[in-house]
Amino acid sequence: MSEFIRETELSQEALLEASMVERPEKNEPLGPLFWICVGWLALNIIGAIFANVLPVQSPLNQDYNFVNSAPSLHHIFGTDDLGRDIFARVVYGSRVSIAVGVGAMVIGFGIGAPLGMLAAYRRGRFDTFVTTVMYVLLAFPAIIAVIAVLSFWTPRSMFKIILVIGFASVPLVYRVIRTATLAIATKDYVIAAKVQGATDRRILMKELLPNIAPIGISFLLIGIATVVTLEGALAFLGLSVNPPTPSWGNMINESRTVLAENPWLVLFPSLALCLFLLCLNFIGDRMRSHYDVTEVKL
Amino acid sequence: MSTNPDKLLVVNNLATTFNTSAGPLPAVGGVSFDLNKNETLGIVGESGSGKTVLARTVMGLQPRTNVTVTGSVLLNGHEMVGVSEDEKRKYWGTEVAMVFQDPMTSLNPVMRIGKQIDETLRVRLGMSKNDAKAKAIELLELVGIPSPSQRYSAFPGQLSGGMRQRVVIATALACSPKLLMADEPTTGLDVTIQAQILNLLEDLKEQFQMSVVLITHDLGVVATRTSRIIVMYAGRIVEMGTTREVFTNHRMPYTRALLESSPKVSNPSHTRLITIPGRPPNLLKLNQGCSFAPRCAYATDRCHQQRPELQIAEEPGHSFACWNPLPSKREAATR
Amino acid sequence: MLKYVIRRLVMLIGIIFVISVGSFYLIHLLPGDPAAVILGTGDSPSNRLKLYKLLGLNKSIFDQYFIWISNIVRGNLGISFISQTSVASTIRAALPIDLEIMGLSQILAFALAIPLAMRSARKPDGLIDRLLGATSFTLLSIPPFIIIVLLVLFVSIKLGVPNIGVASYVSFGTNWIVNLESLALPAFTLAIGSFVVYYRVLRSDMIATLQEEFITMARSKGISQRRIMWRHAFRPSSVALLGAAGVNIGGLLAGGFVVQYLLAIPGLGYTLIAAINDSDYLLVQGIVLVVSVGVVLINFFFDFTINIVDPRISRE
Ligand SMILES: Nc1ncnc2c1ncn2[C@@H]1O[C@H](COP(=O)(O)OP(=O)(O)OP(=O)(O)O)[C@@H](O)[C@H]1O
Ligand SMILES: [Mg+2]
Repeated sequence: MSEFIRETELSQEALLEASMVERPEKNEPLGPLFWICVGWLALNIIGAIFANVLPVQSPLNQDYNFVNSAPSLHHIFGTDDLGRDIFARVVYGSRVSIAVGVGAMVIGFGIGAPLGMLAAYRRGRFDTFVTTVMYVLLAFPAIIAVIAVLSFWTPRSMFKIILVIGFASVPLVYRVIRTATLAIATKDYVIAAKVQGATDRRILMKELLPNIAPIGISFLLIGIATVVTLEGALAFLGLSVNPPTPSWGNMINESRTVLAENPWLVLFPSLALCLFLLCLNFIGDRMRSHYDVTEVKL
Repeated sequence: MSTNPDKLLVVNNLATTFNTSAGPLPAVGGVSFDLNKNETLGIVGESGSGKTVLARTVMGLQPRTNVTVTGSVLLNGHEMVGVSEDEKRKYWGTEVAMVFQDPMTSLNPVMRIGKQIDETLRVRLGMSKNDAKAKAIELLELVGIPSPSQRYSAFPGQLSGGMRQRVVIATALACSPKLLMADEPTTGLDVTIQAQILNLLEDLKEQFQMSVVLITHDLGVVATRTSRIIVMYAGRIVEMGTTREVFTNHRMPYTRALLESSPKVSNPSHTRLITIPGRPPNLLKLNQGCSFAPRCAYATDRCHQQRPELQIAEEPGHSFACWNPLPSKREAATR
Repeated sequence: MLKYVIRRLVMLIGIIFVISVGSFYLIHLLPGDPAAVILGTGDSPSNRLKLYKLLGLNKSIFDQYFIWISNIVRGNLGISFISQTSVASTIRAALPIDLEIMGLSQILAFALAIPLAMRSARKPDGLIDRLLGATSFTLLSIPPFIIIVLLVLFVSIKLGVPNIGVASYVSFGTNWIVNLESLALPAFTLAIGSFVVYYRVLRSDMIATLQEEFITMARSKGISQRRIMWRHAFRPSSVALLGAAGVNIGGLLAGGFVVQYLLAIPGLGYTLIAAINDSDYLLVQGIVLVVSVGVVLINFFFDFTINIVDPRISRE
């Protein structure tokens, strides 16, 4: 009987092999839109970093010859009620969004990702403990925690905002990375490496990290988008950086009452924000389907 | 084609091709056979030979997209190829039903088993709620499920594989179909349960006056339970005949290999089984010759160049597709 | 099943404990003398005495927590020294508004997402699926505070639909028509965000479910396409949907606060922002506690529903 079973196993293996040839991984190509989005993000980031070097006006400079003027050659995005150049404010406003988004995710990933990988790789008591703690923290609604801490921890600054959102995101990052690592740590090649006596460090860095990276990056981008949206909402509520420092969120908030008369005041920061988010989401989503990580539900 | 009243099923040159991203995949490549009323027909072949695809295409149950079906299937006089799903649906359950290969995945995990049987009765036969429930419990009892009225409200996850397969059979039988397609009904089960399920199917066949198509990769299963056997390889019929003929007087080397690789009760235990060398072919890259040729000990140049069509053996109803057939036992005896 | 329920309950109690500790500790984040900051303009010797009694500020931190939590359990969230009203009664007045907005937005979101996701899943990559996919992806990238601003512009100002977006809030009991008019835009704004999430989750889960063998088996029984979609495919997929809904509720908060703030709808979000601006810290603390516990309870409820829908989960 055992021979018989071996026979079926053999042919099953053959079928598996055949099906691997017949149904290749449907790695969708990244497509031109993906690269357009990458380009747009790069442009935004360069603009944010080099705003004071680039030929952009000061966001605080008040030009009384142009108050509330519609977009023109002088001020391509128009000006606000103090005669400040909207284009300059949109460019400088991106600094806040990008700094908060990237900064918070650096903290979130800096703590959550190594913990998640280690827990999934080591398993055992360490995993049980950290995972329990993280799941309890995860149940705490992150947004209310962020708002609560920011409202008590005064005076508010960008640094505090980054810190608070960053820490609040740790449990989420932990969960995603742990799940992804678990899926990969049980794969044959990792077990084979273990059996062959590779060091833990080597397995983590050489086998696990490169395989988790695409999932991690895709989640990182979507995470940045989420944080940027949250920062926008906080700015809208007056809980982010204080005016006159421009941010996309507070620009929209300040001008929404004159929306019908001077629509450009809301239009351009909104457009900048939405495009930025769209690109992040699109790249994240494309990467996920490109690397086809169906086991990991974000 | 004349409609013979004794023929429940007439399949003519049926071909199923999946349009995959890697190109067309001919899972079934031009198959013809028929089935009489109250007959049990066996279909055997290795894993991947296209048995499941054939059975589903005969029913018209192939996936709805990315597949091309040509040829003809006359089921009790109704054409099943090239008609709409609405048309085919009229015959599903009542004329033809299927027992699926894997009882672990073929029942809806979040629906009580009784409801899954009920549903067919109520939708197809318009039974009332209470009548359907009574009938479902009756069916569960018929397929040998203990305390059926309690099991009626169990979820599939609460039953063992054998029990689940009985539920699948009960569901298939709900509307007394004329033809039952049993696709490897015992593959996922352990050996003692296998025999029970097969015997159950045999009993039910008599009771319901059905025709049965019994699919398996194990020739031992079909030896005593079928009147005729079809041997499939790479989506085609390579040998077909009465059970007796196929077992005792097969002409195709593949059939022999299949027989030799299947365990026999008569063998002393620990007899080494002969496995078929090589692997089933990649259907995306079939050669123009006989698809078994690369694994065949008797293959000649011709086998690699030219595909053999089914040819009639001397015994009526027996045919095989081979350029270098094994010698007929009958010929040897008369010579 | 019972074991599962007990395990979840223990977990729930643990989480609520952590939330209570977190909310309690907020006061100690305040810079300088917390009493002075909390009392703000209401700083007088008699108020100081009341506050010290309420929070036990001169005692050890453990005693403080104990005093605080025993007050909370008795429903005493303290008195706002800014507005001189009981925090509990302020919250009680505002909470129904949040529940109503949440409820309305979720009903709207499900009513849109379920049929559209089923439609998409039936023909993945078909024209309708692609259109819906692009639309939902775009909506995903528009924050609620932009949506509400645009909605106010177009619906109330440009189209001039009477009362929508400008009606001031009255309770459902007083005048339900005006009530719905005032909540229409907030509910719709939040519904858009939820719709996108639900649509995408349900669509991909439905596509996967429709590949399952039990769907082919259901087909083979000769039951209608419609019945297969609703009875056989939707139910297992709805587990993913409920899971998404549970997670989504917490994410809805920021958007909810924004729309209330913008349209001056006196729910918890509006009250919270006003309290932050007034430095009314006891009120902020009370709202934080109530909202957090509320979200956790809603999540618990969703978990529980998932269990009823899918018998596989509690058994594992
Ligand atoms: N939906 C599909 N799309 C593409 N290829 C398919 C599809 N279904 C089956 N195939 C391919 O068709 C071939 C025949 O498969 P089939 O399931 O009929 O084999 P089988 O004889 O039933 O095998 P087993 O004994 O393992 O059940 C296989 O190569 C398989 O990969
Ligand atoms: Mg099969």
